[in-house]
Amino acid sequence: MDLHILDHKLRVTSISKTGLQQYTHPLIKLIFLRNRTRCKFFSLTETPENYTVVLDEEGFKELQPSEHLQVEGSTWLPLNVVSNGNTSSSSQAVGVTKIAKSVIAPLAEQHVSVFMLSTYQTDFILVREKDLSVVVETLVEEFNIFREEGGESVPVHSQDACNGLQRNGREVPHATVHPVLIPENQFCVMSLDPDTLPAIATTLIDVLFYSNSPKEGASVDQDMKCIKFFSFSLIDGYVSLVMDTEAQRQFPADLLFTSSSGELWRMARIGGQPLGFDECGIVAQISQPLADSDISAYYISTFSFDHALVSHFFKSQSKHMTK
Amino acid sequence: MSSGYKPDILWSPHHADRYVICDTELSLYRIGPAGSSETKAGALPLSEETAATLLAINSDTPYMKCVAWYPKQEPECLLAVGQANGRVVLTSLGQSHNSKCKELVGKEFVPKHARQCNTLAWNPVDSNWLAAGLDKHRADFSVLIWDISSKFSPEAVPAEKVRLSGDVDSGLVVTKPLYELGQNDACLSLCWLPRDHQKLLLAGMHRNLAIFDLRNTSQKTFVNTKAIQGVTVDPHFQDRVASFFEGQVAIWDLRKFEKPVFTLTEQPKPLTKVAWCPTRMGLLATLTRDSNIIRLYDMQHTPMPFGDEVEPTIIERSVQPCSESIISSFAWHPSAQNRMVVVSPNRVMNDFTVFERISLAWSSTTALMWACGRHLYECTEDAGQGVAAAEKDIATKMRERAQSHYGHDTVQVWRNHVLAGGDDPQLRSLWYTLHFMKQYTENVEQKQQSNKQSLIYSGIKNIVKSSSGTTETRRCWSGSDRQTDVPWYHSEERSLALQLCGWISRGPDIDVEPFLKSLEQEGEWERAAAVALFNLDIRRAIQILNKGASAEKGDLNLNVVAMALSGYTDEKNSLWREMCSSLRLQLKKPYLCVMFAFLTSEPGAYDAVLYESRVAVRDRVAFACMFLNDAQLPRYIDKLANEMKEAGNLEGILLTGLTKDGVDLMESYVDQTGDVQTASFCMLKGSPGEVLKDPRVQCWIENYRNLLDAWRFWHKRAEFDIHRSKLDSSSKPLAQVFVSCNFCGKSISYSCSAMPHQGRGFSQYGVSGSPTKSKVTSCPGCRKPLPRCALCLMNMGTPVSSCPGTGKADEKADLTRDKKLAQFNNWFTWCHNCRHGGHAGHMLSWFRDHSECPVSACTCKCMQLDTTGNLVPSDSV
Repeated sequence: MDLHILDHKLRVTSISKTGLQQYTHPLIKLIFLRNRTRCKFFSLTETPENYTVVLDEEGFKELQPSEHLQVEGSTWLPLNVVSNGNTSSSSQAVGVTKIAKSVIAPLAEQHVSVFMLSTYQTDFILVREKDLSVVVETLVEEFNIFREEGGESVPVHSQDACNGLQRNGREVPHATVHPVLIPENQFCVMSLDPDTLPAIATTLIDVLFYSNSPKEGASVDQDMKCIKFFSFSLIDGYVSLVMDTEAQRQFPADLLFTSSSGELWRMARIGGQPLGFDECGIVAQISQPLADSDISAYYISTFSFDHALVSHFFKSQSKHMTK
Repeated sequence: MSSGYKPDILWSPHHADRYVICDTELSLYRIGPAGSSETKAGALPLSEETAATLLAINSDTPYMKCVAWYPKQEPECLLAVGQANGRVVLTSLGQSHNSKCKELVGKEFVPKHARQCNTLAWNPVDSNWLAAGLDKHRADFSVLIWDISSKFSPEAVPAEKVRLSGDVDSGLVVTKPLYELGQNDACLSLCWLPRDHQKLLLAGMHRNLAIFDLRNTSQKTFVNTKAIQGVTVDPHFQDRVASFFEGQVAIWDLRKFEKPVFTLTEQPKPLTKVAWCPTRMGLLATLTRDSNIIRLYDMQHTPMPFGDEVEPTIIERSVQPCSESIISSFAWHPSAQNRMVVVSPNRVMNDFTVFERISLAWSSTTALMWACGRHLYECTEDAGQGVAAAEKDIATKMRERAQSHYGHDTVQVWRNHVLAGGDDPQLRSLWYTLHFMKQYTENVEQKQQSNKQSLIYSGIKNIVKSSSGTTETRRCWSGSDRQTDVPWYHSEERSLALQLCGWISRGPDIDVEPFLKSLEQEGEWERAAAVALFNLDIRRAIQILNKGASAEKGDLNLNVVAMALSGYTDEKNSLWREMCSSLRLQLKKPYLCVMFAFLTSEPGAYDAVLYESRVAVRDRVAFACMFLNDAQLPRYIDKLANEMKEAGNLEGILLTGLTKDGVDLMESYVDQTGDVQTASFCMLKGSPGEVLKDPRVQCWIENYRNLLDAWRFWHKRAEFDIHRSKLDSSSKPLAQVFVSCNFCGKSISYSCSAMPHQGRGFSQYGVSGSPTKSKVTSCPGCRKPLPRCALCLMNMGTPVSSCPGTGKADEKADLTRDKKLAQFNNWFTWCHNCRHGGHAGHMLSWFRDHSECPVSACTCKCMQLDTTGNLVPSDSV
C-alpha cells in the first residue's frame, strides 16, 4: 500500500449561517469559476450549525476575515491511501473502512488528531502539518510513503521526516463516548462532469445558499429528525457531492454520476457538543467496529461535528454497535 | 450542453477515404477529389484537390468523451463511444442493417460507479476486447476491459439504476467487465502494446505509467512520471512510446522503462494531441491548445539507448495547415504519406500534406541526388557528345582538364588553354598573357635586367604607371610619304606592354609583321587587318583582307571592305568619311567596325575603338598604348581593369597581372564559375611572395586539392603538389612521420639523412645499392638492430628481394615501373592498431589475400581498419 502526502496546504474554516452573505461571492468563484482561481482543493459542507469550508492557501486568500469566519489555526495536509496494484477485489468494503485499521487506528494510538474528508473519488485523511513527522513515523512500516511535490511523487523515509522520535505529548482521556444522532433522511454520494457544472449552477446555488430560508424554524422544530447536510467538493478537478434524497430530486438526474446500484446512505452525526480539533480517536472509535464487520462507510468531518455515512442496509447493525 | 467541446477527428482504419468528426455528434465523411462526378453539390472543399462529402450523422450518443474505431475490416464503421458517465456504447454510422453489426450496435457497457470515460482502446489482435480508462472512484477500478461479444448480463439491473441514469434502454447492457485494473486512481490514457497484445500500457495510475499483463494482473511494471496525459506507441518502432503532460512530451523506450529516453522542448501552452505518423518512421506531430500550428518532431535517426547519455538529434519544425484558423484536432491519414486532416473548432476541415524535408547531396562529380519522402531523384549531367563544351558543368570541365594535364605545361605556357579544350577565349587570353610574361622574364634574365622582372608580373596597369620619357611622333602611312595627323606615342614601357599584348616580340623595334603572319595562319583576317591598320599600314591591311577573301572558306565581303578601305581620305568633310562613320555600325564583325572607327575618328578621340567590348582586351590595350597620351592611357587602363575585375573576366589579368588586383579579379571569376583549378594554376605562376600568401589563393589551392582527392585523382593531386612545390617552395610539407628506434628513441632517418628536416628522409632509407647498405639494418644512433618484417623476418632496412607471390615474368615486363615500385616496397609500414608491420611490399601482397595481421596469434583485421585502404584511385599514373 502506498500513502501519498498530497501537495496541498489546507485550512479548515467555518462560516456562520448569518455571515454567509458576505462570502457568497468568493464561494461562487471557487465553485464555478475554476479558471479564475488557482485553488485546487475546495470543500464546502453545510450543516445545520454552519458552513465548513476546507480549502488550500490559494483559495483561503479569497476569504476576507470577519467575525463570521472561524479559522482553525493549523495548516493541514491531506493524505491519500492508494492500493498499489493490489487488484484482488476480495473486500467489497469501501471508504473509511478500508483504511480504518491501517491508518486511523495507529494514528489514534499516537494521539494524532485527524480530519476526515470522504468524496466520491477517494478518502482524504487530513493531518496537521506539525504532526507529519509522527504520522510518517507511525505509518512508515505499513506504507510506502510518497510526498507529492510539483507533480512528482518523492518517496519519504522516516528519517527524512522525523528527526528524533517526537511523540505527541498530549495525554488524552481515553474513549470519550460521544452521543450519536441518526437523522432519518437518506443520503447519496455523487459526482459530476466538471464541464457540466454550469448546467446545474442555479440549482446548486439554490440548494447551497437558499435552502434554509423558507422553513427556517422547521429544521430545529423537528428535533433533528431530518438534518440539513450538503457537501460539495472540487478537488483536483473532481467534483463530489453528498446530499439527501430530497435535495437530489432538484437536480437533473442524467447529469449526476452515481453507482449503478444506486445505493443510499444513512448518516450518523457524532458529538453532542462541538468536538473541537484536538481530540483524537473519534474516527477510530467509529470506524473500527465498522471495519470489523466489513461495513463500508463514508466519513466527513466538519468544523463542529463528525459525520459517518453507512449504507442503509447496515443502518440498524451499526446503530447497534455504536449504541 | 457542452458548447466548449472541441471536435476531434478519426480516420477509418480500413477505408482510406473515410473519417469521422466527433463533437456532440458523430459525422462520417468521405474524402474525394474535388470537382469529380462522385462529389455532390454539398461537398466541402478540403484543399485544392480534395473535397469531403457528409455521408451520415449519428447523434444517438450524447456526452461523448472519447471514440475508438473498431480495428477489424468487418463489421466496418463500428465505433465505441465513451461517455461522460463512464458508459461505453457501441454505435455505427452509415451502415445498412448488416447482421453482424446489428447485434453489436447499441450495446452498452456500464461501470459500477459512474464517472467520466477518458479513453478507449480496442485490442489490436483480440478485437473483442475493448479497454476503457475511467476517472477515479474511491472504491472502483479505473480500467475496465470489456468483451463486446459477452451476452447480456444475467443479474437484473436494479430499478434505481434506471431511475438514476435516466434512460431506459432495450437491455443490451453489460455490467461485468472481463478484467478490472487500477484501484482508486484515474486512468487518463491507455494503449495496448502491439508487441504483446496481452499487455496494456496505462497512464495516470498514481502519476505512473504502468504496464499490466492481463495474464497476471497483479504484476505490473511502472514508472513514476508527470507525463501521463496521453500515451501513444510508435507504429514503426513498437518499443517507443510518447506520453505528454501539459506542454511537455516524453519519449520512452519500453526496454529501458526507468526514465524517458528524452523529453521534447516544452511548449508554453498545454498539449492537446500527440500522434505518431503512421506512414513515416519516427515522425511525431503535436498540437497545443488554441494554436494554429502543428509541430513535427523528426526522430528518425535517434540512437536507441546503447550508450546512456547520447543526446538524440531531433529535427523540429512546424506546419500551418490552415493560415489563420485555430486547430482543434488533427488526424494522420492511415496510408497516404504524411497526409493529415485538421479540423478547426467551428468544424472547418482541411486536407493537408506535410511536405517532406528534402535532403540533398552533391556527388564529387556533377551528379546531384535528393530524396523527398519515398522518392529519390538523381540529376546528372547529359553526357551526350552533342552538349557544347561551354555548357558543361565546371566540375566536369575540371575533371577533363585535370586528366589532360591542364596547367602542367610550364614550357609552352600558352598550350595550357589547348589542354583546357581550347574553346574558352578567356582561358586562351589568360594563358597567352602568362606565356608572354614568362617569355619576357626569361629574356630579361638573359639581359640581367632584374628590375623589370618584378614589374612584368604586376600587369600593364602598373607598367603604364611607371612610364616615363614618352615620345610623341607623327608617323607616315607606310608605303606613302603622306604625313598623318595622328599622334603616335612610344616609350620603353609602352613597348613592354605591346609585348605583353603579343603584338610585338622582344626588342625595341615595333615590328608587328610576325604577329600578323601568325594571325593570317590562324585565319583571323579581320583582326590581322585591324592590327595592320593600327600600325598605319593600309596596304598591308588591304592585302590581308584580299587574302582572307580568297582563302578557303573565305568571306567574299572582305574584298568589299578592302575596297572601302582603299578609298580612305583624310579630308575631313569627304563623302567617304561621312558614309563610313555611319555605315560602319552595320558591320557585324567587330574588328572591321573598329577599323573604320579608327579611320573616321578625330585624333585622340578613339572611344569607338577603345570601348568596343567585342574586340579582345589585349588588342584594345595595345591600341591604347600607341594612340593615347600619358594622361589618357592610365585613366583608360584603370577603367578597363576595374571593368574586368567586376566582370571576373580573365582577359583582365593582362592589366592587373598577378597582383592583389589580379587576385580580386580571379576571386570574382571563381565566384562566377567555381573554377578553382584555373585560379590555382594561374596564381602559382605568380612570382613567389605576396600573391601566394593571400588566403583566398591558399583556399583555392586547398579546395582544388580536396577536389582531386574527392575524385580519387590521387596521382593528379600528387602531381599538382609536386608542381606546386616547384613554384612555391614554402608549400613543401615537412616530414610528419618518423620511425624511431625502439632502443634509443631517436629517429632512424635522422643521422643518416643529410637533410633531416626535408621530409622523405626515411622513405629513401634502405634503398638497395646504397653505400651504407651494411649499416642500415641497425639504428644509426645506437647500433641496435631495427625491428623485423613480420613476413620475411629480416630486419628492416634489408631490401626486399622480390615480391613473393608475383610471377617474375610480370616484373620484367615493366622494368622502370618495377623499379619505382621497388623503392616503395622497402618502405616501413605498420598497423596503427596492433603495431605489427614490415616491408610495404610484403604487407601489400599479404593483405591482397588476407584480412588478418600476418603475425601469428594476432587477430587484428588491419586492412579493414583502414577505410581508405580499399579505395582505388580513379586516375592513372
